Amino acid sequence: MDLINFNNFSYRYKGNEEYALNNITLNIQENKFILLAGETGSGKTSLIRCMNGLIPQFYAGFYKGSVEIAGRDTVKASIADLSTIVGIVFQNPENQLVAMTVENEIAFGMENLGISRDEMIKRMDESVKLMEIEHLLHKAPFELSGGEQQRVALASILVLEPKILILDEPTALLDPYMAKKILNLLKAIQDERDITIIISEHRMDLILPLVNEIILMKDGYVIGYDTKDKIINGEKFKNLKINHPIIYSIFNDLSINKTFRGNIPSSIPEAINYLKDLK
Amino acid sequence: MVGKITEKSPIIFTKDVEYAYSNGTLALKGINLSVFKGELIAIMGKNGAGKTTLIRTFNGLIKPSKGEVLINGKNTRLKSIAELSKNVGIIFQNPMHQLFSNTIEEEIKFSLKNLDLNEEEIQNRTNIILKTFNLDKYRKRSPLNLSGGETKKLAIASIFCRNSDILVFDEPTLGQDSREIAFFTNLVKEELDKGKTIVIVTHNIEFAMENVPRTILMADGRIIADGPTRSVLNKEFLTEKSSLVLPQLYQFNSELLKVGIKCPDDVNSRNKMKSFIENYLKNKINIIPGENY
Amino acid sequence: MSLEFLNAFKFMKKNTFLHNLDPRSKLLFSIIYTISALLFTEIIPLTIILLCLLPVIISGRLLKQWIKSIRGLFFLFIIIIILNTFFLSLAYAISMILRISIMVSAFSIFFLTVDPNDLALSLISMKVPYEYAFSFSLAFRFVPTIATEAQNIIDAQQSRGYEMQTSGFINQIKNLFPLLVPLIICSIKRAFNVAEALESRAFGSQKDRTFLYKINYSMKDWIFTLYLVFFLIFAVFVRFNFISMPVWLSWSLPV
Repeated sequence: MDLINFNNFSYRYKGNEEYALNNITLNIQENKFILLAGETGSGKTSLIRCMNGLIPQFYAGFYKGSVEIAGRDTVKASIADLSTIVGIVFQNPENQLVAMTVENEIAFGMENLGISRDEMIKRMDESVKLMEIEHLLHKAPFELSGGEQQRVALASILVLEPKILILDEPTALLDPYMAKKILNLLKAIQDERDITIIISEHRMDLILPLVNEIILMKDGYVIGYDTKDKIINGEKFKNLKINHPIIYSIFNDLSINKTFRGNIPSSIPEAINYLKDLK
Repeated sequence: MVGKITEKSPIIFTKDVEYAYSNGTLALKGINLSVFKGELIAIMGKNGAGKTTLIRTFNGLIKPSKGEVLINGKNTRLKSIAELSKNVGIIFQNPMHQLFSNTIEEEIKFSLKNLDLNEEEIQNRTNIILKTFNLDKYRKRSPLNLSGGETKKLAIASIFCRNSDILVFDEPTLGQDSREIAFFTNLVKEELDKGKTIVIVTHNIEFAMENVPRTILMADGRIIADGPTRSVLNKEFLTEKSSLVLPQLYQFNSELLKVGIKCPDDVNSRNKMKSFIENYLKNKINIIPGENY
Repeated sequence: MSLEFLNAFKFMKKNTFLHNLDPRSKLLFSIIYTISALLFTEIIPLTIILLCLLPVIISGRLLKQWIKSIRGLFFLFIIIIILNTFFLSLAYAISMILRISIMVSAFSIFFLTVDPNDLALSLISMKVPYEYAFSFSLAFRFVPTIATEAQNIIDAQQSRGYEMQTSGFINQIKNLFPLLVPLIICSIKRAFNVAEALESRAFGSQKDRTFLYKINYSMKDWIFTLYLVFFLIFAVFVRFNFISMPVWLSWSLPV
């Protein structure tokens, strides 16, 4: 069974004439690390909202087609039910931290689901260790830095043990060092827990080395979904006005003038491997 | 202190500037900075290093607890924010923090209010700025009815129309795709051509490498580096201290070195790197004699 | 001076008998002392009630804060004395002052010793439905965030030449728009984001929600509650039998 299924799904927000999502058909499996890429306004956030039923249950609008998450229809299953399978970390971590202390924050989702106290404590211990936030447990949300808030938001979602973890521009407000750290942490989590992670990101250079599949969006359409190598070597990726990494853009140019033949490297290690083997 | 303004005097000058929060912690610990007219500089550093505090001293939002900030030779302590903001226009990160008028046109006119212009001049400037930013067609629309990219443009437009000598941007490329960044880069070039001085607070290392000649690194309330972008960002210990990473070009450089491929020292731009790799590949694949590295 | 008064309600974490009491017993305390104060207009009984506050204050190591809060009310007290001396009597003014001191002190003790983190829990323990208790603590949680946002809005508008000071009453109202409109809009957007996040974490999905922390009424609380009940009974008894009480109880100022 596919983990995520979009069947010809279209959606238009109430009050808008244009469709935010057009005829989306996607079949996503377990255990993948996926980049969701596209120009601003291409529908990435809307796509994310479909994954746990926020569209169409929370956002008023009109839809066609269907979306199934682990076999559950996102119109029929409640958002609460879907939240046991899909965890979403939204763009601004500040607005997701609702409790008075970090400890209460991490417990919040589990409390809502009626999970037993013993189970809560067990899961909390694990997540807190993983995110390295033990020292923050009794702090209030506004006392935390951007990177700390992001880690707390992540921990509070991980304790719900979702099969799918989705992050909408997680590094937007972080400095480059923190951004790299969090993305690498996510990769480690994906490896360890065998979950599917989908990240919408603008910082290509940091994320491309880590993912194994890419979804491309433009104007509300999914214009490509395939393994990283196939997408990167394709025309669509090249033509999108996204922030291509320098390595990509250099080797892409060289590929056009035929100096370079082969798979365009998406990261420095890949490029180095290729050049090293030539010696 | 009112200095004589010549081309040799900096347009922004700070001397031993310190600033303490109400709880006593120092956000700025002795900042000495000189920026000259027509310069384009980037200020980079960890979140909390003092970058946004520093730029707030330029237009008087923050008055230093110790030391001096001189804008155009005039001490910011002796001027009101309204006065200083005529010379220094700061465009903050979140455009939603300023939009409130009924129409975009009114939004621009609000920005022109304290400049002592007559009706005609106000209307003139409004028309020009709306055209420049491609917002003319939305003139009568509510500012809340724009897309994310357009609200950002409106925020910039509402400062640009005031024609200040110094423009300061706080994280202008956040969350933007390459189209929007290209638009912004072009805007900066045009303003520089007009003789404006531009300061950009940013985390976007690649943008700075490609477009900004001079970079200031801040860490923990102090300036730890101030110089040509390409050499400041080439030093790993500095980038670590300021919570940055090495620009991709320099990372690539150092990785190439590790496998025995040495780039000449002057490869510090994308195009130069491309030429180098091109030649390297031609050498290796087609075995063309000559061209040794 | 008026802001100093607010410090009388600012919570600080301490490990004392008083702080460790359940919020419910502290609320009971505030209510009972207030009722007792309202039962009397005579100076001596009110003074006795005020003095009965002191052991509680001292056990919570709150003496300094309490003195500050009374100092904060000083201005109000002067006004009461002046007005009352003209219209009624000085004795009445003094008993008013005593009453106010008792009531303010009683509630200030509540706020000084109840952790806002536990506020939601305390409300729930008082059988307030979870959604309401939660919105209460949510509001608390976002106060610093909104304060920061307000400052950012002021900065952004001032950078466009907006001037905070202006003359004329109507102008002053108009002048608030550039600050209030963005603040309200940003708050509404924020509310939307928060709601989205809450939904995505199954908020409100179960009738029987579990809790990481619970508050329990301990032996200390029962003892304290018992004391409060006796206190109230005694005060009521004295009130209704005031005529048969010792004469010095109804002593008043000659004026």
